[in-house]
Amino acid sequence: MPHKGVARGETAVIAQMIVNGLLGGLIYVIMALGFTLIFGIMRIVNFAHGEFYMLGAVGVLVLFGNFGMNYFVAVVVAGLLTGALGVIAERVLFRSVVGEEMPGMIMSLGLSIILQSVVLLALGPEEQTVARPFSGIWRIAGAVVPWDRTVVSISAIIILVAFYIFLKFSRLGLAMQAVAQDPTTASLMGVESGTIYASAYGIACLLAGLGGALMAPIYTIGPYMGQSPMLKAFVVVVIGGLGSIPGAMLGGLLLGLTESVLATLMDSTTALIASFGVVLLVVLMRPNGLLGRTVR
Amino acid sequence: MKVRAVYALILLLAALPWFIGSRYIFHIATMITIMIPLVLGMHLMVRIGQLSLAHPAFWGLGAYASALLTMRLGMPPLLSLLVGAAVPSLVALAVGPIFLRIKGVFFVLLTFAFGEIVDLIFQEWTGLFGGNSGLYGIPKFSILGLRLTQIPHYYVLGLIAAILVYLLMRAIERSDVGAILESLNEDEMLSRSMGANALAWRVAAFVVSAFAAGISGGIYAFYIGFLSPDPFGFQTIVDLIVMVTVGGAGSVLGPVLGAIVTVPLPELLRDAREYQLMIYGVCLIGFMKFAKQGLISFIVDKRRGA
Repeated sequence: MPHKGVARGETAVIAQMIVNGLLGGLIYVIMALGFTLIFGIMRIVNFAHGEFYMLGAVGVLVLFGNFGMNYFVAVVVAGLLTGALGVIAERVLFRSVVGEEMPGMIMSLGLSIILQSVVLLALGPEEQTVARPFSGIWRIAGAVVPWDRTVVSISAIIILVAFYIFLKFSRLGLAMQAVAQDPTTASLMGVESGTIYASAYGIACLLAGLGGALMAPIYTIGPYMGQSPMLKAFVVVVIGGLGSIPGAMLGGLLLGLTESVLATLMDSTTALIASFGVVLLVVLMRPNGLLGRTVR
Repeated sequence: MKVRAVYALILLLAALPWFIGSRYIFHIATMITIMIPLVLGMHLMVRIGQLSLAHPAFWGLGAYASALLTMRLGMPPLLSLLVGAAVPSLVALAVGPIFLRIKGVFFVLLTFAFGEIVDLIFQEWTGLFGGNSGLYGIPKFSILGLRLTQIPHYYVLGLIAAILVYLLMRAIERSDVGAILESLNEDEMLSRSMGANALAWRVAAFVVSAFAAGISGGIYAFYIGFLSPDPFGFQTIVDLIVMVTVGGAGSVLGPVLGAIVTVPLPELLRDAREYQLMIYGVCLIGFMKFAKQGLISFIVDKRRGA
């Protein structure tokens, strides 16, 4: 949301656009990383990704909003529960469609619809809110930064760094990269593919759940809140290259910044049409994404 | 044998509304016949291995074009139905050569983004399409001086269109063209090396499938008499995927079965949309888990030669 009334002068407007873009982009990165991880390893386009984000937010609604748990504890617990659900979903549903694009897509669409309707039955159709644990603003270069968004962004950066360390230095993280690059050779080297699928899907859902949990106090919470972040993750991953981790990071920040610029300069519908137009162009010109590697 | 039994069952079901005679049953039956050309169009794309999410938009283009041609230009309804269906075909012809170079997940996303843009245009171009408040006063369909005013009239119209489109799609499937289209999915390199112009055939399939969607849209517009951008968005994408999945993509009969099974669901569960969605989700997962080829695999057991 651009704070047009507060920003003065052109530098302030530009600073505000950058701040808004980065604040939005970091959550896109978290969503897109999981999305691209699942695709890179399992070749499944996870249409249910937004619903895991939604479940994270619902977790915070219940734990923090209803039970009065500490906000940060609630975020972590909600994230872990979502991740655990992801592991179960992988084992029960997705294991049988690994590597098959079309059935994988349809399966995840089915899961997405079921999760939406379960939450709809449990919470009802009204959007709910939780109290903001942080309030107030601070300024940088004339741009207004709300404290709650700052906390979300700092948490997001911590999550991203932890994910990066996990992927680069842990045995499991290295094994995941190996499977993404060459599943056959990886399994010849003794990497157990089932474990990798379960952990990849679980970690991706953990990331989505944490993202949703962090954003819970900022937006309203409802059964369909995951659709837009899922779409954004899809767009980011297409821009960055399906299966590419650096691509997801770059693409997420790029999408955040683009949206913030477009939202400042045009009305929201034109901005939406323009962003779909950009996606069309990227897919047509660079079908493997800006940083994607050529498959096969 | 089993196939004959299924045909007989479908014929029986098609005649059922006249035996029951209730307007409500006629309405559901009409909606089934309207959805059949649309889902058959989508199925033709699935046959060539490309899941198109642009078809709800083509459906909408056909609906708005038929309605506007009659309302604004005073075209006779039958003509505007055909010309209206040509509009999505022309759009498919224009974007097809670019879109159909892209395959797999990217084609899915591309057609999704395209469909979203078209739906946004329906919403925003209020001068032409009436926007979210809708397009009112679409005249009744008439043919040879015969005005269709009752639901059963539209049922007959829908039935005729559904049967014609079904016969067309079945003829395509059984012809040499069908074999070429199938080969594009199975092994494109091989079929290109045999001299088939892959892109041209893909575009042709896209254009024909958009025409089927357009016909379905036109009949929908005349039947409902009111258009809003609402039905042409994501919900119909889900509906169509459910129909193709439940019915099975292996034969033209599959999506027809899918439509017959799926369309009555929202009508039967009108007060409980959330249960309907849950049933959809369970169907999708159940078929993907236990019967990837859909209902049709229980009827046609031998796979036709590849």
